[in-house]
Amino acid sequence: MIEVKNLSKSFGEEKVLKDLSFSHQEHQTLSILGESGSGKSTLLKIIAGLLDEFSGDILVDDRSIAKLKPQDRGAVYLYQEPLLFPHLNVEQNIAFGLRIKDEDTERVAAETTRMIQQLKLTGQEKKYPNQLSGGQKQRVAFGRAFIIHPKILLLDEPFASLDPGTRQEMQILFKEIAEQEKITSLFVTHDLKEALLTGDRFGMMENGNLRVYDTREAFIDDSGTGVKQEIEFWKNLK
Amino acid sequence: MSKKLTLGFLWLSFIIPFGLLIYLSFSTQWYYPSLTSHPFTLSHWESFFSGSSGLFKSAALSVFISLTVSFLATTSGFFISRGIAYHTKSRWWLVSAYFPYVIAPVVLAVMLNYYFLQIGFSGTLIGVMAAQLLITLPYAVIFFYGYWNQNIRNLENLVATMGGDFMQKVKHASLPSAKGLLVICFFQCYLISWFEYGLTQFIGIGKVETLTIMVYRFVTESNPYLAALAGTLLIVPPIVLLFVNRKFIFQKGWSL
Repeated sequence: MIEVKNLSKSFGEEKVLKDLSFSHQEHQTLSILGESGSGKSTLLKIIAGLLDEFSGDILVDDRSIAKLKPQDRGAVYLYQEPLLFPHLNVEQNIAFGLRIKDEDTERVAAETTRMIQQLKLTGQEKKYPNQLSGGQKQRVAFGRAFIIHPKILLLDEPFASLDPGTRQEMQILFKEIAEQEKITSLFVTHDLKEALLTGDRFGMMENGNLRVYDTREAFIDDSGTGVKQEIEFWKNLK
Repeated sequence: MSKKLTLGFLWLSFIIPFGLLIYLSFSTQWYYPSLTSHPFTLSHWESFFSGSSGLFKSAALSVFISLTVSFLATTSGFFISRGIAYHTKSRWWLVSAYFPYVIAPVVLAVMLNYYFLQIGFSGTLIGVMAAQLLITLPYAVIFFYGYWNQNIRNLENLVATMGGDFMQKVKHASLPSAKGLLVICFFQCYLISWFEYGLTQFIGIGKVETLTIMVYRFVTESNPYLAALAGTLLIVPPIVLLFVNRKFIFQKGWSL
């Protein structure tokens, strides 16, 4: 379980997060929507340990991680770009997280093969990042994160740079694998449809605070989220 | 046709000084109005290889100094530039890296001479290498500063969140894309150190006899033939480095 307590963060005079608190259950995806500059990425970066000088606390399984180094938090941060290692092939990229932890070679090989199959990347194992399409790169980036079973997976608009077709394909694939691998994740997006498709719970970031909804219905029904209006707009579009 | 002639003329005007240098290194007497040197001799080159002229020792010393200085400048410059690029006051630090170039290296040597004398570095090999680092290290820092962009930083962050320590960040995120740059910086620092005269003369007070010091010494001694030999030896590394640059960096397609 993740618990964020009274989190506040400022950049100079600007207060980006204001006494933000929420909790999130294991093996679920919390989709977070919000306008640009509302603090979504800042929240993820603080949880990952990539930003300091904040107040408040972050607890994972009742243990505070707020003062731990990024490598000790068990929170993997995925960027919009896949950021694959250019000197490693698909297989080596996916196995990266296990290799740096000095896991048993046979286990690494078995896990990597399984992940490659799950990601439908069979046949691409020996290819280097510059030989892959945008969607394939993003699959490899997911595989590299999923394989180490992080306590929290933090996704910062991971599909924003993909074309609509690939994006939809990736959303479905993410949902499938996140459920199979029992991944706990916070998924930041600008896309309402993406949020509804990938999330088990939903959050709306506004004025430095996060409103969390436990069900899709509650999220849609709240007029403050603007979801209902958007659905109506698409229904009435001629 | 005229384009070919112009190119030929330019090529010749580039080659002639080098040809003349090599030709002079095989000469003993060349007086006006004779068009060629007479007699033609291998004695200078023999004295170089036998070590009797002291040039072999100077060449070896120069190679040692330049290799050490360029290695230290490149490796430390890489990491120092990282620290500067990620620092909140990175611009201030970067400006300070330009300092040795703004005031000219030899003026810097005059300014630092007191300290070199105090710590016993004046007239020593270590002193010359430290002095040369004062110009090659800031060069390497400026050279690598632009490398630390947001993409590299994100890649390092990714390695960290996946459980990687500092060395793993360097090994998997920082270094792989910097291979080509490291080689180029090493070559350039090597050349800066190799041709350095002012600082080496001032801090080494003539006791550290590098090849550039020997060239100037032979010139002031009015010995153009040994000066030509030393000059020929001086231009060998740039030619080799140009060749290596072309063959190993551009043809192998290392990422820059």
